[in-house]
Amino acid sequence: MKPVRLAIAGLTACSGCQLTLLNCEDELPDVLRRFELVYFPMAQSGGHREGPFDAALVEGAVSTPADLDMLFSLRNASRLLVAVGTCAAFGGVAAMNNGQSQRQELLRTVYGGHESLPESFAPAPFGNFVSVDWTIRGCPPEKEEVVELLAALLAGTLPPVRSYPVCTECRSRENLCLLLEKGELCLGPVIQGGCNARCPATGIACEGCRGPVREANVAQELELLLERGFGREEIDRRMNRFKPGWDYEQRR
Amino acid sequence: MSSVVEINPLTRLEGHGSVKVFLDGARVERVELHLSESPRLFEALLVGKSYAEVPDIVCRICSLCSTVHKVTALLAVEDVLGIEVSERTSLTRELMLNGATVQDHALHLYFLVLPDLLGVQGVAELAGVAPELVKQGLAIKKVGSLIQETVGGRLIHPVNIRLGGLGRVIPKPELTQLRDELRLALPACQDVCRLFCTPFPFPKLPEPAFLALEPSSVPLGSRRLRLSRDRSFAVGEYREHVEETFLAYSNAKLSKVMGVEATVGALARLHHAPTLSEGAGEIFKAHRHELIGKDIRGNNLAQAIELYDAAERALQLVERLLELEPGPEAGVAAAPRSGTGTAACEAPRGVLIHSYTFDDAGICTQADVITPTALNQGALARDLLALARGMEGEETARMTAALERLIRCYDPCISCSVHTFPP
Repeated sequence: MKPVRLAIAGLTACSGCQLTLLNCEDELPDVLRRFELVYFPMAQSGGHREGPFDAALVEGAVSTPADLDMLFSLRNASRLLVAVGTCAAFGGVAAMNNGQSQRQELLRTVYGGHESLPESFAPAPFGNFVSVDWTIRGCPPEKEEVVELLAALLAGTLPPVRSYPVCTECRSRENLCLLLEKGELCLGPVIQGGCNARCPATGIACEGCRGPVREANVAQELELLLERGFGREEIDRRMNRFKPGWDYEQRR
Repeated sequence: MSSVVEINPLTRLEGHGSVKVFLDGARVERVELHLSESPRLFEALLVGKSYAEVPDIVCRICSLCSTVHKVTALLAVEDVLGIEVSERTSLTRELMLNGATVQDHALHLYFLVLPDLLGVQGVAELAGVAPELVKQGLAIKKVGSLIQETVGGRLIHPVNIRLGGLGRVIPKPELTQLRDELRLALPACQDVCRLFCTPFPFPKLPEPAFLALEPSSVPLGSRRLRLSRDRSFAVGEYREHVEETFLAYSNAKLSKVMGVEATVGALARLHHAPTLSEGAGEIFKAHRHELIGKDIRGNNLAQAIELYDAAERALQLVERLLELEPGPEAGVAAAPRSGTGTAACEAPRGVLIHSYTFDDAGICTQADVITPTALNQGALARDLLALARGMEGEETARMTAALERLIRCYDPCISCSVHTFPP
């Protein structure tokens, strides 16, 4: 069988999504056998980004002209473009203040008033610029979802879509409900599952790293949190941590 | 005739960077190191966030260093709020840091550096030419990952360590499993040094000025930074001693420490005489002459020794945690307080400093992060120039290969480094 040709790259990000692949210690030898890593600068020298690729797995938000250039080039060279992780899907942590501050102000806060500030615009998801064939969510994504995608690629298909919230998995694990029973600012009801309620099972409220679940009842979550005494600003900050611009009117 | 040799992108490291060598004929005029990672502006984004949110957000600076970013941020916030944590919490944090060191050094040494030693392009070819070494590297890395996953609740961006305490206490059966896995992995960890004890044969480099935390008998208790033999300063006073300048071609600012280009990381730590675990101490003694007083080419061997040290130490910590009486470990509900808190930890690749200022309501008004690669940037650029000059007249491919290899000695983490604060 012809190996599947991959590009693995990162734009504005922490490299965590690429690292998640390298963290699949049990599966990695198999992955290296069945896939051809044509372009993977983080773990492989001498590659080129011209393709053609069967799939490009790309992490990170788009926040510089160089990011955009890389994104277009990988889109053009690949049959499938996979947005890996929450930055690629929604903008991620770098985008958390998009709705409230100007990029140039932020740049000046960090670099001072120099003339040649780094070129950077408000971090945005891939979908704002190109068509995306598949998205893996999470900051970072679950290993299993990365392996699931690779297995699907070998079979010439894509994995099934998940469309249930973190609460579904949290309930099935029989965790204490941090939102209703402990009064914590938990975003479980509006966030897409697939992490097996990782954080609530550790006693930590869901911080929303996987982005909105389909048909999220955002209005109800907002109302509930306000009722529980959380301030609107605090709720906004938490909701925007991984995805700016929520629609608080949204009901199923 | 002048020309420019460019290495772009730099590969087998974390983040985006490139190097330009400016030549006049065969003569090397200058070398530019570009850390071109897109700035994510964390320090600016943290302003306006509450003290409780800061550690969860700031660990996202870097995936390889997310544990140490989180621990350092927690220590800095706890410094402001005057929180003291329990022995269990402190031991758990220390265990996670050692697990991260095992995982990270194994990744760097086996999958990013080893291809240089075996003359291959990277992890894919490595699996073809040295499948047993790949298996060994993965097995070592896996035990580090298991610690992160079990104790931290997640491999990258850990959730279980929180302000003042833990999300959940690690149950004994899980600790027992960690103990067993660590015991199994120890012989391989001991073996890592064998692969990295021959430094690569390129011209001698300038003598580094090593910066590391002063060793402390209290876990995570060190509050002083030592530069080479005779100069040191309190972590809380780092602003007076670390000077940063903006470079037009790099998104990470250049740091000078007490006026010199400091070198941080494994080799720097070993120069400051830390107390090593028994087995690692023996190996260090045997290789001392290859490390002490040597340039950065010894850093990969130093990392290999540290990897074994971290594995042995992790085992001791797990055993100590198994001895502790069971009990709940809730995070501390601290009242906000105004003030500035600063903390420094040793990340796998060197000193990491976090500093935050909060107002009365606990809202962050200033944030500052200085990372190992930002600290190393000056020394790295200096060494690149020295190496390029030492190889004048060599074939371009040979020179660029050597330059890339030198960069990997430093184990740079570029996405970490592109976050600095104005002077």
